[in-house]
Amino acid sequence: MKRLVLPIFLVVALFVTTGFAQNLTLGFTASNTGAMNVDSLEQKRGFELWRDQVNAAGGIKAGGKSYKVQFVSYDDESNPKRVQQLYSRLILQDKADFLFSPYSSSLTATAAIVTEQYEKIMLTTGAAEGKTYTLGNHYLFQMFTPGAEYLKGVLDMLKTKDPKAAIAFVYEDASFSVSVVNPAKEYAQKLGFNVAFSEAYAPNTTDFSAIIDKVIASKSTILLGGGHYADGSTLAKQLYEHKVQLKMITLLVAPDSDKWTELGDAAVGVIVPSQWEPQSAFKPQYGPSGADFAKAYTAKFNAPPSYESAGGYASGLILQRAIEQAGSTDSAKVAAALNATDITTFYGRSKFATEANQHGLQVGHAMVLAQWQKDKSGKLVKQVVWPLAAKSANLVYPIH
Amino acid sequence: MILRRPVFWLILIFAALMAFIPFHANDVSMREDLILVAIAVILASNLNLMIGYTGYVNFGHIVFYGLGGYVGLYLATVRNWNLVPASLAAGVVVSLFALMLGMGILRLRGAYFALATIGVLLAVQSFVANFDPWGRSTGLYVDFSAYERLGGARHALWMTYFLVIGVMALSMILSLGIKISKFGLGLFAIREDEDAAVVLGVNTTVFKAIIYSVSAFLPAVAGALMFYKNGMIDPSIAFEFMLSLEGIVMLMLGGKGTVVGAALGGGLYEKLRSYLLTSPKLSNFQLVIAGGLLLLVVLFAPGGLIGWLYRLVPRARKVIE
Repeated sequence: MKRLVLPIFLVVALFVTTGFAQNLTLGFTASNTGAMNVDSLEQKRGFELWRDQVNAAGGIKAGGKSYKVQFVSYDDESNPKRVQQLYSRLILQDKADFLFSPYSSSLTATAAIVTEQYEKIMLTTGAAEGKTYTLGNHYLFQMFTPGAEYLKGVLDMLKTKDPKAAIAFVYEDASFSVSVVNPAKEYAQKLGFNVAFSEAYAPNTTDFSAIIDKVIASKSTILLGGGHYADGSTLAKQLYEHKVQLKMITLLVAPDSDKWTELGDAAVGVIVPSQWEPQSAFKPQYGPSGADFAKAYTAKFNAPPSYESAGGYASGLILQRAIEQAGSTDSAKVAAALNATDITTFYGRSKFATEANQHGLQVGHAMVLAQWQKDKSGKLVKQVVWPLAAKSANLVYPIH
Repeated sequence: MILRRPVFWLILIFAALMAFIPFHANDVSMREDLILVAIAVILASNLNLMIGYTGYVNFGHIVFYGLGGYVGLYLATVRNWNLVPASLAAGVVVSLFALMLGMGILRLRGAYFALATIGVLLAVQSFVANFDPWGRSTGLYVDFSAYERLGGARHALWMTYFLVIGVMALSMILSLGIKISKFGLGLFAIREDEDAAVVLGVNTTVFKAIIYSVSAFLPAVAGALMFYKNGMIDPSIAFEFMLSLEGIVMLMLGGKGTVVGAALGGGLYEKLRSYLLTSPKLSNFQLVIAGGLLLLVVLFAPGGLIGWLYRLVPRARKVIE
């Protein structure tokens, strides 16, 4: 009998300790295949790093309990058709307690119809389009700065360097880039720039020579635009091959990826509006510092984090804090805590609009501008050049 | 008489079960799976009218679905129409568009026609992406409050589901009706030998234009319903070339030219894709497996599943049309 005491004690002890650590299920879809798989993968890695760190630290502590985070995720094939089917499955079959959004604005808008219906909180990241938040939701919370703000910083910066510049807008004819470029065009005109050329190209365009000829003919010295990775990197390559003498090139999304260095000399000088850069020196009130996050991320995935990765990690962090503040995993209580959130993490400030006509819209976060420059050893590095308070190097202007 | 055909009653029973089972069990996951199956059946059945019955390969069939979605969503959100009249109007508008278009491009034959349908798809997509009232490339969004008019989002989505099932049943009945009609015989004549059909007195241009227009109606209605349910539409999701190709694959899988084959192919293909996609072990290989299976079908059962069944049980021809 005595010999049995210890094993019984161990089993009971194990049972008691695991009994307290409950599981919290987070659901999302990722674009493992299809056009958006590069950006989506980086976002997913952000989620995963956060999960692993939270679990290693004993889980999320709320209301005297601790919750281990587990994920359920599916491949949405970068296709909105699947998204509602998969989010319904996440909510109903996999019993997800909270949700993260898919990558991209249109997939997120489609998923939101389902998550709102079941009153499930969805933190949206990788989705900058602002329209979704004006449709009367209650449970969406946007982590990205809305699209309308993306290019404003570039124009403000340009104003200090070349207030009369002729600008060409060349951008992907897709939901996200159009919602970024249209407000930017208006803002450029308001600042007194000459918008010399503007053309949208079809998604999946691989030959930009006709557009590039028109840019040259318009005598523009600044090019703003792009869309996602595939088209943006091709455009930059072809601009370089055609030896277009531009003073500044700013492209959306694509130059933020670490793969950008593969373009070689075509990559030099290109600017990307970014939600976050490793050099951004925010003083976090909660969670790790930017340097710690970047170090842990690089150690785990053998690649530096992009802003999609940071957005993914920060979504987890903001949700974690809201659950801790609410002391519960109840959707209504956590939503109230998210509505009251106004905090700076390594990712910058996060605050959500609470007015009914734009609930969940990100109003606290600000963009930074990063430029690819060569360091002393000739290696390509990304430097923060705007806002001046956060800069890690001076802007190189003009690049040619 | 269509009522004497066993398949007619099978279609009704099948549709009734599809509507009843998820509703009775209040199983929304099942509903979400089945609505995609129903959409696949609708697209495949109507595509069958062109490819299977008339022998004209239409690569741009999805244009009807997408345009229907746009017209329906525009009427329902911007013009505040009710969902049902908006969807029907979408069907009518798109059918008329197809009729006019068909009069022109159906003078082409074989590969030239197939190429022209791709042209139509691209042209319509570019037009819509630059059309202001439809939101250009950012598309149209459904306000969450629009669902309130239908008694809240949960109720609205169930209603859309029943309507889609209804459209699916109509698609199959339409296929059957045309197959057993004199009009259908004319189409088969065109498929077998168009010149001979002309000599026999079939007005081939009119027949082809009519079937092209008819094959546009129900996919357009389904598009309006489905994009309303999705909550948004933009040109890249409305006119997805891949979906057009998948429609042809569904037909090959089930057996073109038959009512049940088209539906079976649509249903099976969709079930297979969503099973592979959500299976934890197979999801990384889902495209490889789907592709491999289709190769096997084309190589070893060129008549599709129904063709294979006919060879196995010749008497099945009488029941399963």
